[in-house]
Amino acid sequence: MISTGLHAAVLLFAVVTFTGKSLEATPVEALPVDLLSEKEFSEMTKGVKDAPKPDKPKPLVEKIDTPKPVEQQAPKIDTKKEIAPTAEKPPEPKPPEPKKEAKAEPEKPAQETPKPDPIAEKLKQPDKPKQETKTEQPKKPDKPEKKPPKFDASKIAALLDKRDPTRNAATGSELSSSPSLGTASGLAAQLSQSEIDALRARLMALWNPPVGAQDANSVQITIRIRFKRDGTLEIGPQVLTSGSGVQFNAMRDSAVRAVLVGQPYTMLRPDHYDSWKEIDFTFDTKEMFHDIPVRRPL
Amino acid sequence: MTDNFFMLNRRGLLAGAGAGTLVALAPRRAGAVLRLDINQGNPQPMPIALPDFVGGAPGENDVARNVTAVIANNLARSGLFAPINPQAYTEKIVNSDAVPRFPDWRVINAQALVTGRVTKQGDGRLKAEFRLWDVFAGQQLDGKQYFTTPDNWRRIAHIISDAIYERLTGEKGYFDSRIVFIDETGPKDRRVKRLAIMDQDGAGVRYLTRGDDLVLTPRFNPSTQEITYMSYGQGGPRVYLLNIETGQREIVGNFPGMTFAPRFSPDGQRVILSLQQGSNANLFVMDLRSKQTTRLTDTPAIDTGPCYSPDGKSICFESDRGGSQQIYVMPATGGPAQRISFGEGHHSTPVWSPRGDYIAFTGQARGGFAIGILKPDGSGERVLTEGFHNEGPTFAPNGRVLMFFRDPGQGPSLYTIDITGRNELKVPTPSLASDPAWSPLLS
Repeated sequence: MISTGLHAAVLLFAVVTFTGKSLEATPVEALPVDLLSEKEFSEMTKGVKDAPKPDKPKPLVEKIDTPKPVEQQAPKIDTKKEIAPTAEKPPEPKPPEPKKEAKAEPEKPAQETPKPDPIAEKLKQPDKPKQETKTEQPKKPDKPEKKPPKFDASKIAALLDKRDPTRNAATGSELSSSPSLGTASGLAAQLSQSEIDALRARLMALWNPPVGAQDANSVQITIRIRFKRDGTLEIGPQVLTSGSGVQFNAMRDSAVRAVLVGQPYTMLRPDHYDSWKEIDFTFDTKEMFHDIPVRRPL
Repeated sequence: MTDNFFMLNRRGLLAGAGAGTLVALAPRRAGAVLRLDINQGNPQPMPIALPDFVGGAPGENDVARNVTAVIANNLARSGLFAPINPQAYTEKIVNSDAVPRFPDWRVINAQALVTGRVTKQGDGRLKAEFRLWDVFAGQQLDGKQYFTTPDNWRRIAHIISDAIYERLTGEKGYFDSRIVFIDETGPKDRRVKRLAIMDQDGAGVRYLTRGDDLVLTPRFNPSTQEITYMSYGQGGPRVYLLNIETGQREIVGNFPGMTFAPRFSPDGQRVILSLQQGSNANLFVMDLRSKQTTRLTDTPAIDTGPCYSPDGKSICFESDRGGSQQIYVMPATGGPAQRISFGEGHHSTPVWSPRGDYIAFTGQARGGFAIGILKPDGSGERVLTEGFHNEGPTFAPNGRVLMFFRDPGQGPSLYTIDITGRNELKVPTPSLASDPAWSPLLS
């Protein structure tokens, strides 16, 4: 009991601290959000498109929740359609009818049970004008259907409700993972990905690999750097790779030169100096020379 | 650990897809070193400062300045270095032995600095010394001294250029080398063609023939001061040998018919050439000592333009045995040949890189001529330059630069291009020039 209590307390504390520090982590969120949002948006847009197609979409889109019950009530509408054809005009008005039905249904339960009130209130307003326009037909279907649709509609609504949350959950979990990214780094006071990228970009821009390295398949140079808090080098670059030969020397010197020229590394923030005071850089041309300007063969 | 535990818990609750990323970014143990891979560079000409070498005596300042100018020109033409305008220099080098004030050179972003001195010795010889400094590391990278006769100052400059190039690029240089080529003068219908030789930078042109006979395709002996070339004397084209120093020349072999497209073997002991028999041509090799000749191909086709691989074990040549001119490779002792060029159009004048990694060729397709390279197994074909008329590639001693001639219509001139396809440059010649052949390094 004590342990669980303590755990719970610490967990609560941790959660609070997480939420507190998530503000600092906001810059880190940029990367994952970009990646995830593409998929999410594409999936979401696909889903939305699929859903409204059978119905007439524009009024439905405004409120995503309401259209879905409308879809499955549509088959019930078919029975009404049989009635409708007697008046030849209405094929267009018919689809709007279901909306009224769907909206009408919640209205009555709303009176009975308080839950759907906010939706119902909004629904009532559109319902009235529509009912006014189609005075003859709507009245008849509304009354007979009220009882059976309630059972079906509640089940369907439940099913629909389950689908909606699953989509939301998927998006929710992905979105929430990114704040967790931020909090993780926030806790550890580490280099953020953007700082690492900026550091690498700077060195890649400054590193002028010797042409001889193009032919040396396996020349890799690892250099250990000790930084000072201001982003300059505390001591000279320490070459960890041992080797000899003209190509090795040229490669090593080019890497050391890039590191020296790049000072001071102002993209490294002093507040988490501990995480970057020592960094090993590995310079490698292996992936570099594949894209020598290849022009079309004759 | 508790932190980690709860992080994991929270992660589990979130069930995020990014869990893998989180693990990668999880806090390291205290003391662990962050590791970063730098797998892309930014190849560009290296800024280098070349203040004038110091003269040992006032009269030697001119020579010293000339040596510096030749080095700067060499490095700039290689496309790998960007000599900094001397007007930007803030430190005047007066003593090439002293350590330069590196901050002064860092300010102008010089990554390398060359200082040197040229002095005349008591015995009349010239002594040239240089030091190569890494400005940002603040240390000397190289330092050498050379002795030579005063009229040889250009070669000293080329040798120093090679030393700088090699130390900074990790690759052998090519500046201390020469070009033999066909110098062309006079109107188009009565063009006088003379065999000429010059430094790789176009300096010191010297004529080897008087222009009485038409000369073509000169080639260097890799090991001696000899040239082999084709000349139209009496009775059709013949392959000759010429000693550059003595001017002595002789016909190669006693072949019954026209011989052309000669080239030395890598050891300089043999000459491989093409012998015309009727409407066909086949490859023969002649040992220069024993004068013994060996037939390498026997086909009802035109086999020509042979060139040895640098190890002397294989030969590439062009042949129309498949219907159009294409490049083939076969063992140096003869035997079955394998076609390696399959691209569009014709492929001719193959020449094997001294490094062995590429074969350069003249490509002809859609009315244009291109200079290209491909690997000896036929893969990796690419075009370096193309246009109305480009022909006759020849490799620099380090295999990184190609020289060829281009004739846009007014007459041919020489050009160089990097094997990456970059840095195309015209080579200065006194008049029209064609058919260049690059010598090996002189030293």
